[in-house]
Amino acid sequence: MATRVRAAVGLLTLVLIAVLTPALVPVLNRWHSAQPLAPTYLPALEGPRERSPFEETRVPDLQHLNPGFVVIGDSMAGTRVDERRMGELAGTPVAPLLQAGSGSAFWYLALKNWVIASGIKPRLVMVFFRDTNLTDVMFRLDQQFRWTLDLVALEREEELNGVIAGRVGPLHRAQTFVGRWSEAEEARHWIEPALLRLPAEWMIGSRRRRIEFLDAMNVRLGFDHLRPMPAADIQIGDAPAFDFARDVDRSVLPLMLRDASREGLTLCFVRVQRRPLPNGPPAQSPALIAYVNALREYLTSRGAILHDDTGDPALTLEMYADGDHLARHARRAYTEHFFNGLRLHLQ
Amino acid sequence: MIFHSLDFIAFFVIVVALYWSVPRRWQNVLLVVASYLFYGYVHPWFLILIAASTVIDYGAARGMESWPDRRRWFLGLSVVSNFGMLGFFKYFNFFAENVAAALASLGLAVSEPTLRILLPVGISFYTFQAMSYTIDVYRGELRARRSLLDLAVFVSFFPHLVAGPIQRASFLLPQVEGPRRFSLERARSGFVLIGWGFFKKLVIADNVGVIANKVFALADPTFYILWAGVFAFAIQIYADFSAYTDIARGTSRWLGFELTQNFDHPYLAASPADFWRRWNISLSTWFRDYVYIPLGGSHGSRWLWIRNVLVTFLLSGFWHGASWNYVLWGAYHGVLLVLTRGRGRALSDPLQWRVVPRIAAMFALTLIGWLLFRETELAAIVRDLRLSPFGVSELDRQTGVYLFLLAFLYSVPVWIQSVWAELHRGVRVASDVEGALPAWPALAFQGLACGVAFATILVLRSRTSLDFIYFQF
Repeated sequence: MATRVRAAVGLLTLVLIAVLTPALVPVLNRWHSAQPLAPTYLPALEGPRERSPFEETRVPDLQHLNPGFVVIGDSMAGTRVDERRMGELAGTPVAPLLQAGSGSAFWYLALKNWVIASGIKPRLVMVFFRDTNLTDVMFRLDQQFRWTLDLVALEREEELNGVIAGRVGPLHRAQTFVGRWSEAEEARHWIEPALLRLPAEWMIGSRRRRIEFLDAMNVRLGFDHLRPMPAADIQIGDAPAFDFARDVDRSVLPLMLRDASREGLTLCFVRVQRRPLPNGPPAQSPALIAYVNALREYLTSRGAILHDDTGDPALTLEMYADGDHLARHARRAYTEHFFNGLRLHLQ
Repeated sequence: MIFHSLDFIAFFVIVVALYWSVPRRWQNVLLVVASYLFYGYVHPWFLILIAASTVIDYGAARGMESWPDRRRWFLGLSVVSNFGMLGFFKYFNFFAENVAAALASLGLAVSEPTLRILLPVGISFYTFQAMSYTIDVYRGELRARRSLLDLAVFVSFFPHLVAGPIQRASFLLPQVEGPRRFSLERARSGFVLIGWGFFKKLVIADNVGVIANKVFALADPTFYILWAGVFAFAIQIYADFSAYTDIARGTSRWLGFELTQNFDHPYLAASPADFWRRWNISLSTWFRDYVYIPLGGSHGSRWLWIRNVLVTFLLSGFWHGASWNYVLWGAYHGVLLVLTRGRGRALSDPLQWRVVPRIAAMFALTLIGWLLFRETELAAIVRDLRLSPFGVSELDRQTGVYLFLLAFLYSVPVWIQSVWAELHRGVRVASDVEGALPAWPALAFQGLACGVAFATILVLRSRTSLDFIYFQF
């Protein structure tokens, strides 16, 4: 019995020491004089962290350009739309507000904080998306993509935070609490750069040359040197989540429609065709088809437009590069084909 | 469900609490329900496969005992059904592509049928485990079990379901059937294993995985950058896979089970034979016992032995994935073993300075193997192997050295642990003895080590969350 009690106390001691040790991280932060980080604009999702600044120059740029069309989206739009060619066809400037690795949270903020804030009145604001992106606010909100949101987010984003709060469960809230309690982000803020700097410090004595090397290395390993990968960027979130009725009110879509309606803007949501098969369009499950039908009904009943590329026989596999991206050589042809299709909506 | 998710932690806490509060006869029912919930969490249709494998192997083993003269027929049923599932889901597209390519080379253009279906995770692991049961019954080394429930626990036991270690029926089934009690000591050691596993996965594997992914995504790698990426991948795959095993073993201990060890500090191996005694032990012993030895093993002529080694390693490579680079990787290790004639340092030999050059040489050979494993395009493998260390720009040389040092920095805890374990091999510490308690300073040290691991996970876990590599196999 005594052995058992001793073992129980031993286990409890071990677990307690293990669980409480992270409480020393804030002490480490004080010792290192780490600057406290400002609260985030998404407290439902994360604790304080360093953020990139809001790109406010976009607003005067839009005012200056005064475009007839605005294109919002990620690399799906970026590899498809040739804005110069579209501008020639439309006879009016086209403003691309694109960010690789972005999701619907970004697109909503781009509409609110850039387009609407600029006061411009384009004929159409086009938002490019894949399948369920519009009703999945959590798509590309994980840590590796979150910095893109910083570019469009103001100091506070109450409505977006509210939508996200409805999507994160108690487990995520517990994780956020632990992160705040342990001040992990504050510690990461100074430990991670020091760790990444260390090998360069071993290799290169001069601080100036070290910085030059790290900059050059980032370019060397950057996008321009990547090989095309057929499977790239093919994942778009949880595949079975095709329940439009369940998800729409837990997404930013109603906010986008409301804001556009208030400002008298027409939104055109462009569903791009995913990578087709060699002999036809990509397969779609009945659940996905039902989802898209519900989305179409929802948008059109609220004055918006849904333009669906899926199944368009003109969009063949030869036009695709890697994943769902179009090849560079196909951009112009796509733009012309897309604009012809768009005319139907403009009439 | 994946280990490194909050969902799993909540799931595990609930399962452990329920498990030890229900009577013994309900514990196995709970384990099957929990395991099926774990496995079918995202894709419930996966459950059809694991249930089918269980029922077929149960029936086949019972059939062997009831109709001994038809044992071979029932074994065939088990092997065909398990390999059939594996072949259909894992290798169908591979065979279709290669048949179409072969026909095309003969001038017969056919449009290849493509199976657009997800590969059920863990299928390679649980089908092999289930087959070990029927093969052992066929050989008369094991009696067929009467309880379908017990067999279902054996096949689906959630801690090791998705990525092993593959357990032998003779080792795990008695634990499934026997009495079990909650051991505080096992719980303690399990907690330490789980903490170490999470640290290896989230801090080491995922961070160096970013380096490896970046290098292998380059269209134009040069010598130093490429081999830094290969080194990063070597660290990633070991930290990742051994982390899964540690978490599996740790969680099993909380449920009163012991799983076999799957890794024994493989990067301190001094020869190919030594490496395979230390790497993915459960799979390599599976192939040894069910392929290599039935083929004749080392009995017979040298040519027969060479054939047996090569066949075993080719199959082992092919097990990893439906791609030629895995076959090449298996063949490479088979050839290494043949060239060194299977000789190697015995595991019980202490680590000595004179062995270090051999360890370094073996590690370099292992890196070449990992290049074949990681690089899926054969043309890229040829290009990579042709890269020269000369004539490389200063930037590329420095980039390679930087990436290597960064990967090494992240991997320091793994090297320290391996060297420490190797230096203390064979030395039994008090805590290794069942029922014995470590001294309080040791306990406090373990707690502090776990705490530092948790704190490091919170601070330095990679922003890019990667799946366990062996999930894809």
